[in-house]
Amino acid sequence: MNSGLNNLSITSAAKKLAAKEISAVDIARACLTEIEKRNPSLNAYLEVFDDVEAQAKAADARRAQGEKNTLLGIPMAMKDNILIEGRKVSAASKILQGYTASYDATVVRKLKEAGGIFLGRTNLDEFAMGGSTENSAFSVTKNPHDERRVAGGSSGGSAAALSAGMALGAFGTDTGGSVREPSSFCGLVGLKPTYGGVSRFGVIALGSSLDQVGPFARSVADVEILFNTLRGQDPLDSTSIDLGAYPQKKLTKKLGVPRKLFEKGVDADVLESFNASLKKLEGQGYTLVDVEIPGAALALAVYYIIMPAEASTNLARYDGVRWGVRHEGKTLFEDYAKTRGEGFGPEVRRRIMLGTYVLSSGYYDAYYGKATEARAQLSREVGAALEKCDAIISPTAPCPATKIGEKSDPLSMYLMDIFTVTANLTGNPAISIPGNPVSREGKELPVGVHLTAAHGNESTLFAIGRDLEAK
Amino acid sequence: MISREEVQHLATLARLELSDKEIESLQKDMSGILEYVGQVSAVAGAGEGGKKPMPKLHNVMREDALREENDPLAGKEKSLREAFPKEKDGFNVVRKIIQKDE
Repeated sequence: MNSGLNNLSITSAAKKLAAKEISAVDIARACLTEIEKRNPSLNAYLEVFDDVEAQAKAADARRAQGEKNTLLGIPMAMKDNILIEGRKVSAASKILQGYTASYDATVVRKLKEAGGIFLGRTNLDEFAMGGSTENSAFSVTKNPHDERRVAGGSSGGSAAALSAGMALGAFGTDTGGSVREPSSFCGLVGLKPTYGGVSRFGVIALGSSLDQVGPFARSVADVEILFNTLRGQDPLDSTSIDLGAYPQKKLTKKLGVPRKLFEKGVDADVLESFNASLKKLEGQGYTLVDVEIPGAALALAVYYIIMPAEASTNLARYDGVRWGVRHEGKTLFEDYAKTRGEGFGPEVRRRIMLGTYVLSSGYYDAYYGKATEARAQLSREVGAALEKCDAIISPTAPCPATKIGEKSDPLSMYLMDIFTVTANLTGNPAISIPGNPVSREGKELPVGVHLTAAHGNESTLFAIGRDLEAK
Repeated sequence: MISREEVQHLATLARLELSDKEIESLQKDMSGILEYVGQVSAVAGAGEGGKKPMPKLHNVMREDALREENDPLAGKEKSLREAFPKEKDGFNVVRKIIQKDE
């Protein structure tokens, strides 16, 4: 029988730890027990670290010395594309086989300083390319709410680990929705911070103008704690900024609803659930205003030009020379082509090819050039919409978790990102918060509500989020 | 649909060895995806402000100075060496890159 400590929120676990009702070792053991029980079938963790109890003991010792951090002794799950010194990191790709991180990512350093415990590294779509973890080289992660379904992606392992009680908090990266979509599918709160808000030093890059590290948690309050631990400018990441530099907006309790965007293509009961969330917020004194973001209809097309372009460039470094796997041929060219052809999985190869296409001479202006212009237009439209309201509200995804193998055509899989990619293209902070669940084949499946706020105004997302999750 | 030769040419540029079967499926997948993302050509660029660059973009420079503290790679030579796919006497073994084209 498990103690149940593995299902606590960070906030309540921190209180119990501070009151010395429980120890970090107690919580860590509860998580490890649950991992032993559920991970073999869910495949959320690719590796569970063998020193979790030792880490927990060290945290308890720090507390005995008088340390009081909220995260001291809180066990968490880390997506396997974020470097922890001395641990393996794979990005769920065969090309990084045998690679051990030489240093800590800045977010990891900050979490270690806060006293957080790392339970293990979690599954993802290879190099974070996907929305279901079906593109992992190490098999799919199943959804704890219905094991026939995906946990979402690309940070599906982190979402499933937390959702199943195998951690108290978790981290992912979000390039086009990779934290928010699995949050929606697994019933969690997931945040994509403002672009530049969190350092990316030591995080394996996908699309560098889009990527952000984001936390998963069981409540808005927990996500806020994790975000405040991660945020801040970092001299090791020149794209990081101090978010305090953005104007902080006063809450007017107005929500912008871009109705046109989900007139088509959203499951009827998902829309019903979304409308119920709107009603709830209205009951709490919010006013709904219509906003139009015509460019958002094009956002997905823009995204699937910019992201593969940046990915194909970022992934040029996997050449078998400095780390990972090397497959040798007869010439230098063959070394590269074999290493990359065999090391990368099919979706990664597909996106490198797409990126190479849209960047190649003759097509650059028609694709990448146009996408950059459309992106600037989209930023202006989102900025204008946010002049009229505190946040833009929509469903997080057009449907609940899909069945494993259901989305076999790459384009139909890409369409899952329709509501989440805009925030990455414009750099705005966005959050997914559980709304009313929907029912599929006798199972209750979670569905998320998505909020986007002005740059640097994560506090707005947390304020609305708290109202949304209030019973 | 994208031709077989075009896919092969891109694979060469991207340094990817692809099987015949994969080239065939990429012809189909890429054509479908390019048709979808090609929507951008019709809409963007026209009208007011279409050519404006992304807002608030500027380059970030740092001082060209030796990092004396907080160097995350200080003392990590050993682990960097251990990451080499092929190592000999502490050196990374690589192929000679100046050679006749074959």
